[in-house]
Amino acid sequence: MVKSVTGGTKTYKKHLKLAPGYIIVSIWVIFTFILIGWVILASFSTTREIFDGQMLKFSTGFHFENYVKAWKTNKVSVYFLNSVLYTIVSCSIIVCIAAPASYVLARFRFKGNNLLQNMFVSALGIPAIMIIMPIFSVVSKLELTNNRWLLIFLYICINVPFTTFFLHPFFKNLPKSFEEAAAIDGCSPIKTFWVIMLPLVQPGIITVTIFNFITIWNEYFMALIFANDNKLRPVAVGLYSMVQSMRYTGDWAGMFAAVVIVFLPTFILYIFLSEKIIAGVTGGAIKG
Amino acid sequence: MKKRASILLIFIMALSVVFTSCGSTNSNSTNSNSSESSSETTTTPAKNIKLVYWTMWNETEPQGQVIAEAVEAYSKQTGIEVELNFNGRDIRKNLQPALDAGTQIDIFDEDIDRVNSTWGNYLLDLEELSTKSYPSTNGKPFTEVVNKALIDIARQVGPNGRLSSIPYQPFAFVVMYNKDIFDQAGITSIPKTWEELLEACEKIKSIGKIPWTVDDAYMAALVGYHLARTIGMEETLKIANDNSWDHPGVLELAKDWEEMYQKGYISPNAAANVWPAGQQEIAQESVAMYLNGTWLPNEIKSSVKPDFRWGTFAYPSVSSDGDPITYNNIGGQCFAINKNTQYPQEAFDLIVTLTTGKYDTKLAQESLGVPMGLDSDWPEQLTEAKTVFENTTNRYIWAVGMENSADVNAKIKKNFALLISGKLDAQGFAEAMKN
Amino acid sequence: MKKNRAMINAFLAPAVLAYLVVFLYPTLRTIVMSFFKVESVTDSVSKWKFFGLGNFKTIFSSELFITSLKNIGNIWLIGGISVMVLALLFAVILTSGIKFKSFYRSAIYLPNVVSAVAMGTMWINYIYNTDFGLLNRILAFFGQGNKKVLWLGPDRIFWSMLVAYCFGMVGYHMLIFMAGIERIPQDYYEAATIEGANIWDRFIKITLPLLKGVTRSNIVIWTVTTVGFFVWGQIFSPVNLSAGTAAPMNYMYELVFGSSSSVTVRDSGAGAAIGVLMTLIVVTVFFATTFIVRNDDSEM
Repeated sequence: MVKSVTGGTKTYKKHLKLAPGYIIVSIWVIFTFILIGWVILASFSTTREIFDGQMLKFSTGFHFENYVKAWKTNKVSVYFLNSVLYTIVSCSIIVCIAAPASYVLARFRFKGNNLLQNMFVSALGIPAIMIIMPIFSVVSKLELTNNRWLLIFLYICINVPFTTFFLHPFFKNLPKSFEEAAAIDGCSPIKTFWVIMLPLVQPGIITVTIFNFITIWNEYFMALIFANDNKLRPVAVGLYSMVQSMRYTGDWAGMFAAVVIVFLPTFILYIFLSEKIIAGVTGGAIKG
Repeated sequence: MKKRASILLIFIMALSVVFTSCGSTNSNSTNSNSSESSSETTTTPAKNIKLVYWTMWNETEPQGQVIAEAVEAYSKQTGIEVELNFNGRDIRKNLQPALDAGTQIDIFDEDIDRVNSTWGNYLLDLEELSTKSYPSTNGKPFTEVVNKALIDIARQVGPNGRLSSIPYQPFAFVVMYNKDIFDQAGITSIPKTWEELLEACEKIKSIGKIPWTVDDAYMAALVGYHLARTIGMEETLKIANDNSWDHPGVLELAKDWEEMYQKGYISPNAAANVWPAGQQEIAQESVAMYLNGTWLPNEIKSSVKPDFRWGTFAYPSVSSDGDPITYNNIGGQCFAINKNTQYPQEAFDLIVTLTTGKYDTKLAQESLGVPMGLDSDWPEQLTEAKTVFENTTNRYIWAVGMENSADVNAKIKKNFALLISGKLDAQGFAEAMKN
Repeated sequence: MKKNRAMINAFLAPAVLAYLVVFLYPTLRTIVMSFFKVESVTDSVSKWKFFGLGNFKTIFSSELFITSLKNIGNIWLIGGISVMVLALLFAVILTSGIKFKSFYRSAIYLPNVVSAVAMGTMWINYIYNTDFGLLNRILAFFGQGNKKVLWLGPDRIFWSMLVAYCFGMVGYHMLIFMAGIERIPQDYYEAATIEGANIWDRFIKITLPLLKGVTRSNIVIWTVTTVGFFVWGQIFSPVNLSAGTAAPMNYMYELVFGSSSSVTVRDSGAGAAIGVLMTLIVVTVFFATTFIVRNDDSEM
């Protein structure tokens, strides 16, 4: 993509024209920060103060013990470890399975190509619960419930169609000349894929990996059903159970502390990853 | 290359998160997973037995913590490993599929109705085991040292009228009120009829407090109770089961509550109270009364002021056609044993540990609950509830059946909320419910 | 080409296998289950009793289920339009050359990253709180304080939930639009500007048409996520189902696993029927969008 270059005084005028745009997105972003900021403040407060609406005065000071309590009495680190395991393993394997499939579907003509493409797309339309019930039944009989590898297996299989679908346009847009040149150089088709074509669709892979990462990280329903054991829970289910238990003990401030504890590393990981998206998208999508 | 680098970096970051968090949890966790430590603290396990116990409590709740302690003590004493699974209330959804699939679950607990009705097919008959004597019963049969009324109820609701669960933490579903507000308002005696209740409401309103509140979790129970007080339990159950609201009693109920709204006796927030918002209104002392269970003081323990004075009374009678105040929903949580268990005696031993002696007392103390031990004292907050409990002649099932169907429950929630916020009048409510 | 056949098969095999195991078999089984009366989802096939269209009759005679369908319809249509418009608007703004683009991009996408459980809790306990919530405080600031709005009351809770849900979804769809816009060569815009086109013209004549494929992707993805609407319904009605917050998946979850109330009867056959119905809806919408949004660029 060729970036337009404007210089000097033109920049000032240009930004002025964009003022309404700035205002709109800024309002949205400010609201987001208020939302999150309130939760962080609430986590340092006490339940009474929150409900009295007196929270912002902090009359009884900052209550760091909310965090200590939330951390000690909930196995937050276990939830994190689980989520990290599930997401990293799943995301890596998803790409290994989906990228090759997407590649051949996008660039080779063969019988059944369209059928397969439609098949994968149709998978997107099948709601999770359609699949979960029979799988749960089979898994229960095999006594594989509460098994983390099963959960990972499911996460991988469920996200393969979407990833294949997503990478399709990226593969399709690569010029044919690359393959021809590689063939002339004596490169086998398989090697061509791994060494040349795959790296070229990096922006796509990075973007879809991040989407998958976040989907699996926040995934709640399947984990609830297949990995509900305390030791296997990922972050989303763990947070839900923490929130529920805080409700029964009336410890709202503690609940918000738990929310922040779960949210912060997610947020940090996200900040880190979003830089990668930008680097990938702008750096790799060079045309012609 | 970039891809590999970024994946590697993510991995490193993740590991660092894990390592920093791993350290603190290991040194700080006290109550979590007593099962892991139990096998290390005993010398040699008796017979390598492992019990699996699924509980409805969360790890952070006082009940959860005491049970964890009791389980650990039991393991130390007997050498039997116990895997304690804190399901939280999700046990209501998780248990059956797990049992169906043949997962090893030896003991589970929940509300007495749920255990015996919904899960009746999975229960082990406990008549024999309960008549034996145990170390903590001083030579007497177990059933003679614990609360008889509860055991009778458990037997009554058990499959085929057989005792298949051991109750604990008895509760009564009654009107919980703030004694300070009552004193301030000059209310000297507990309201026993609807008219007396209205009078009390007026007095409370005049000192600037709100008399009543409710939230979405307990609306169906409120409607069920009021309806039963108006037309009797049988008619109410019929309406609940058939979802046919043509009965004139419905209009009477609507009129009563329309009056509550118009006179300002019900909290303006009530219609929008998403549980547990209603409880918080009580905790903040802006509202005086709330139809709830005697578990309430425990649930809002950390939100109320230290010297909060609780009182309870049975839901007042409304009409002579309806039930008197001796009809109430009383019950308890209860422990049950899976009929497919391999270790019935060991499982029952654990239950005995939890319902007699030291841990029974502790469980009650920590959770502001009632101990199972015979003739034991009810906590101060619940003394008036004891009278209600003991005077109850007929037992309501939960919400007098109004929550048995999701459709009925949702319909009640929607229309009742509209009624108490003035968006529907009495006639409108009756009409809406007929659909 | 023949030599490639082996590679094609090898490359496709894992993906196809995953599909068959996790999508095809379960879907077929659920479809079959929907025609039988089944109580527990783990019951063996021998316990299934043929029931014809009985399950479908059951679910359609449930008022709550019909309401949940209406709810999901509103979420899809009204929510969908709102989210797409906002996403497109933000995408255009962010690609028009403003400063701090990456910051804004991250900030707008942030709600989508934070777990729905956390976000939902924030909305209920802060924004919508009747007494001290943000919205009612703003109203009070503007002099409307005496009338406290019940944002979570039965008549408003659905819309409150919808707003909270859409807020979190805008960022995600914005990213997809941005990816599409950034693929449009800048030369087109420069050529148009030279010929005298203004911002609006450039948007309508260049940006929009070239976003057809991406728009279609967005609609498909939106439809799929909408059908799976579950967690938000649970958060806004934590104990049992409400008419204002129930979506078909919430209802189905209760049918299959039992509800929170004391005495419940599970009905997995009816649950399967719901699953079949929702899939049919998605497939229909998918083909409808393919028909309506014909794409001329090289996307799937």
